[in-house]
Amino acid sequence: MIRWLLFAALLALSACSVAPFKTGSATTSTARQPAPTTGSGPEIKPTTGETVIEPEPEQVIEEPAPAVVEPPAPRPRPKRPPATLSPASEALVAQARAQRKKGDLPGASVALDRAMRIEPNNPLLWIEMGQLRMDQRNYPQAENMGRKALAMSVGDDATQSQAWELIAQSLRARGRNTEAAEAMQKARAAAPR
Amino acid sequence: MARRKRSASSRRRLQHGFVVLGLLLALAALVMLVVLNHRVTKEFEGRRWTLPARVYAQPADLYVGRQLSAARMAAELDGLGYMSLEKPDRPGTYRRKGNELRVHVREFRFPDEKQAARELRLSFAGNAITRIRDASGTDVPVVRLDPLLIGSIFPIHGEDRIVVAPEEVPALLPAALIAVEDRKFESHHGVNPLAILRAAFVNVRAGQIEQGGSTLTQQLVKSYFLDSRRTLRRKAEEAVMAVILDARFEKADIMNAYINEIYLGQEGRRAVHGFGLASQFYFGKPLAELDLPEIAMLVAVVRGPSYYDPRRHPQRTLDRRNLVLRVLAEQGVVGPEEAERAGKEPLGVVEAGGRTGGYYPAFLDLVRRQLRRDYNEADLTEAGLTVFSTLDPLIQRAAESSLQEELQRLDESKRKAAHGLEGVVIVTTPQTGEVVALVGGRRSGFDGFNRALDAKRPIGSLAKPMVYLAALETGRYTPASVVEDSPVDLKLPNGDRWRPENFDKQVRGGVTLVRALTQSLNLATVNLGLDVGLGRVASAFEQLGLAEAPPELPSMMLGATNLTPIDVAQMYNTLANGGFRAPLRAVRAVLGEDGTPLKAPQLEVSEAVSPEAIYALDRMLTEVMERGTGRVAKNQLPEGLVVAGKTGTSNDYRDSWFAGFSGAHLIVSWVGHDDNSPTGLTGTTGGLAVWTRLMSTIPTSSFEPLQPEAVDLRWIDYFSGQETSPYCNGSAVSMPFAPGTLLESSETCPPGTDPSLLEELLGIGPDDGTDAPPVGQEPAPAHSEIP
Repeated sequence: MIRWLLFAALLALSACSVAPFKTGSATTSTARQPAPTTGSGPEIKPTTGETVIEPEPEQVIEEPAPAVVEPPAPRPRPKRPPATLSPASEALVAQARAQRKKGDLPGASVALDRAMRIEPNNPLLWIEMGQLRMDQRNYPQAENMGRKALAMSVGDDATQSQAWELIAQSLRARGRNTEAAEAMQKARAAAPR
Repeated sequence: MARRKRSASSRRRLQHGFVVLGLLLALAALVMLVVLNHRVTKEFEGRRWTLPARVYAQPADLYVGRQLSAARMAAELDGLGYMSLEKPDRPGTYRRKGNELRVHVREFRFPDEKQAARELRLSFAGNAITRIRDASGTDVPVVRLDPLLIGSIFPIHGEDRIVVAPEEVPALLPAALIAVEDRKFESHHGVNPLAILRAAFVNVRAGQIEQGGSTLTQQLVKSYFLDSRRTLRRKAEEAVMAVILDARFEKADIMNAYINEIYLGQEGRRAVHGFGLASQFYFGKPLAELDLPEIAMLVAVVRGPSYYDPRRHPQRTLDRRNLVLRVLAEQGVVGPEEAERAGKEPLGVVEAGGRTGGYYPAFLDLVRRQLRRDYNEADLTEAGLTVFSTLDPLIQRAAESSLQEELQRLDESKRKAAHGLEGVVIVTTPQTGEVVALVGGRRSGFDGFNRALDAKRPIGSLAKPMVYLAALETGRYTPASVVEDSPVDLKLPNGDRWRPENFDKQVRGGVTLVRALTQSLNLATVNLGLDVGLGRVASAFEQLGLAEAPPELPSMMLGATNLTPIDVAQMYNTLANGGFRAPLRAVRAVLGEDGTPLKAPQLEVSEAVSPEAIYALDRMLTEVMERGTGRVAKNQLPEGLVVAGKTGTSNDYRDSWFAGFSGAHLIVSWVGHDDNSPTGLTGTTGGLAVWTRLMSTIPTSSFEPLQPEAVDLRWIDYFSGQETSPYCNGSAVSMPFAPGTLLESSETCPPGTDPSLLEELLGIGPDDGTDAPPVGQEPAPAHSEIP
C-alpha cells in the first residue's frame, strides 16, 4: 500500500517537473501542489499527498520517464500573516459593497479609489476592485486586479486563495472554463485549512 | 452729387439729393444697428450659456493613522480658505489649539454622495491623526475635506475663471454694485444720459477723462470686446450695444453676466475676470463666504484694478473701500454702525500666488487632453461638468518649489551654461497610475509651452533599463551575468560608423549586469543589447507603456530616442509598479450638470513583463541609488528610505534627466534649455538634484519590490558576479535568481563565510583583476555617468 502511495507521489512530482518551474511554492509542501494539467495524470488527486512521505530528491532523478532537468523549488520563505484592512479602508470597503448592492457602481468606484489611495499596497483592496470590475462586466480587468493581488500577497495563502478565486470568476465569465477550473484548484490549494 | 446750376430744377435736385443722403444715412445706421445687435447678443448668449467644466483637485481624506500633523492640517485648511475663528460655528471655519482641531467642513457634492456641512473634532499626536469625532462625539473612520477648485476649462482663449450661479452670489454684492457704480441700473435703458452729462462736465473741467458715466451694462459691453480706447466712436457703439442688451435681456441676467465677466485684477499674464475668481485671488475663499468689508473691497477694485491694487497700493485701496462703505450706508444698503465696524477691518488680502484656488495650467492642460478622449469640446466648455482630478495640491506645490529652488541655485552657480534653465517635474502614484503633480516649466503659473507633455528630448541613459529588462526576460541573463565592456564599432545601414564610448572613455572588460547598469556603462549596455537583439529592446519600450516602439537603431540603447517627460513617466511607472502597466490618468470622475456620474477613465492595470525580470531589474535600480550614479541623493533623503531610479544625460549635456521612485511616488524630472543648447549638467547634477529635493520633502514610503515566488535571493560580488558572503567586504549585493541557478563561488569569500571570521578576512578584497577598488573609493558618480 505504501509503495503505491509512494509511486503516486513520484508521478505527481514528475508532473511538476514538466510544468514551468513557477509551480512549487516551497520544498516542504511540494506534495500539496495541485496537479498541473500539463502533467501526465489528471486522475492523481493532490489531496492524497497529505499522507505521503516526502521523497528524497535523488529518487526524482532516478525516475526514468521525462528527460527534463528538474527545476529546483525555491528556498522556503516564511509565510506571511493574512492581509487585513485598516479601519479607514474597511469603512470605505463596506461603503463600496453597499453601493454595489444598490447598483451604484460609479459610487463604489469612488469609494475604492479613496481606499486605494490610503493603502495602495493592500492586496485585499485590489481584490475588492476586481469584484467591482466583475459587476461592471469588465472581466479582463477583474482578472488583472486578481493578478496584481497575487503579486502583492506572496506568502499570504489566505489572500492568494481569494485572488485565485477572483481570477477563476473572471475566466469563467468569459467562458474560459478549463483555465477557470485550474484557477479554482489553485484557490482551493492555497486556502488555509 | 448734383452739379451746381443756377436753376429751379437744380434746387429741386439738391433737395432730392438730401433726401437720398438722409435715406442712405438711415440705412447705414440701420445696418450698423443690425451688426451691433448681432455682435453683442452673440457674445452675451455665448457667455450666458457657457458653463465650463470645473476641475477640482483630489480631496484630502482624513482618517486615524494618517501622517499629518495638526500644523500641517491647519495649513491645508488655510489653503482651502478656511478661516481660523475662536468659535468655528459655520462652514469654512476652524480652530486649532495645540493638538486639538475643530473644523466646520463645508457642504460638497462629491461624485458618490453629497457630504453635508458638519463639525469635526480631530486629535493629533506627533505627526499623525489619532482620533476623529463628529459633534455628537461619535467616532468617524474616514472623512473628506472639500477639494480645492483648480480651474475651469474654457474654449480656445484658455482664460480661467470661476463662474458663479446667482444663488452663489451674496445678495450684498449686486446691491453694492448698484449703489456705487450705477444707481439707476434697475430703471434705465442701458445708458444713463444724465450720468454721462455729469461725467462729461467733470471731465471738461478737469481737462482730462477722470470720471466715467458708464452704466453696469456699458461696462459689461466694454469688457466683452476688450477695447479700452476711449474714442467717441467706441463710446457711441458701446452705448448703442448697451441699449440693445437692455432691451433684449432681463436685468438679473445682465447683472449675473457682469458679476462673472468684469475684470478685477492681474496675476502675471493671467487676467482675473469675475467676482468668483477675484474672491479666490484676493481672499482665498469662495465668493459666498465673503463678508461686508471684503465685498466692499472688491466693489472698490472694480473702478480700476491696477490703480486700486490692494497688494501694491493697500492704503489707496483701503481709502476707497471705506468710501464704498460710506456710500453703502448713505444709500441704506447697510446700517451705519455695520459700515463703521467694517471700516475698521483690515483689507485681509492673502498673499499673491499662494491661495488663489491654485492655478496649475500645465496640469489642467493634461486634464483637458484626457477629457477630450471622452467628450467633445462643447461638452467641456458648456455642459457644466464637474471634473474630479488626481492633483495633490501639497505635492504640486512642493514640486513647483523644488524645481524653482534648484534652478535658482543653478542660476547662481559658476556654470554659465546652467543659467536660465527650464525644467519639468511629474509625480505619479505608481500603483494607480494617478498623476498627482505636473510642472511644465519654472514659471509654473505661466500658461505657455507645456514641456511636460510636449517637449520631445533625447532620454539618454534613461533608456538603459529597457535593454536590461529585455535581457533578463530572455532568461539567458541574471544580474550576475558578465558582459563585455569593450569597444563597439558598428556599420549602420546608412553607411555611417557608430563608435560609442563610455562617459569616462575607459574600457573595463568583463562586468556584471548589475554593475553595468548601476554605473551606467555605455559599452557594456550596447554589447548586451546587441546580443539580446534590437527588436527585443525596442519592444521593451512598448511593453512598459510607450505608445510606439522606437526605431530599431543601435543608438536607441543609449537614449537617442526623443521622448516627452510624460512618456518617460508612463514607462517608469510600470517599473515602479512591479511590472504592471497602469495608464496614467489625471481624471478620476466626471459629473454632469445634474450630478449624474459620466464616463471617465478608470483604474486599469495589466501585467506587462515577467515578475522575475522586473524584480531583478528593480533591485538593480535600487543599487543605482546605493552605489551608482544616484548615490549622492542618499545624504539628502530621509534615513532608511529605499528608492530606485536612473539618471539620464543626452549628448553634449543638453538634457539632464532623473526618473526614480519610492514605494509611493514616481518622480520624473528634466532640466535643459528650450533652445537645446548644452547645460553642462549630467543627470546627477540637474535632474537628480531636483528629484532629491522633492523626494525628501514629501511624505512617502520605502520602495519594496515584490519578490515573486520562484526566486531566491543570493549574495553576489558586485564586480565578479561570483556567489559570496555579505560579511567580507562592501561589494556583496543581494540579487534574485531562479531556483537552482548555478553561480561560481568566490574563492576569497565563499558563501557561508562565517561572520566570526570577519576580522581575519578584513582587507582581503576580491581579486578579479579589474578596476575593482573597494566601493568607498569608486570614482565620483558624476564620472561614471554616461552621456
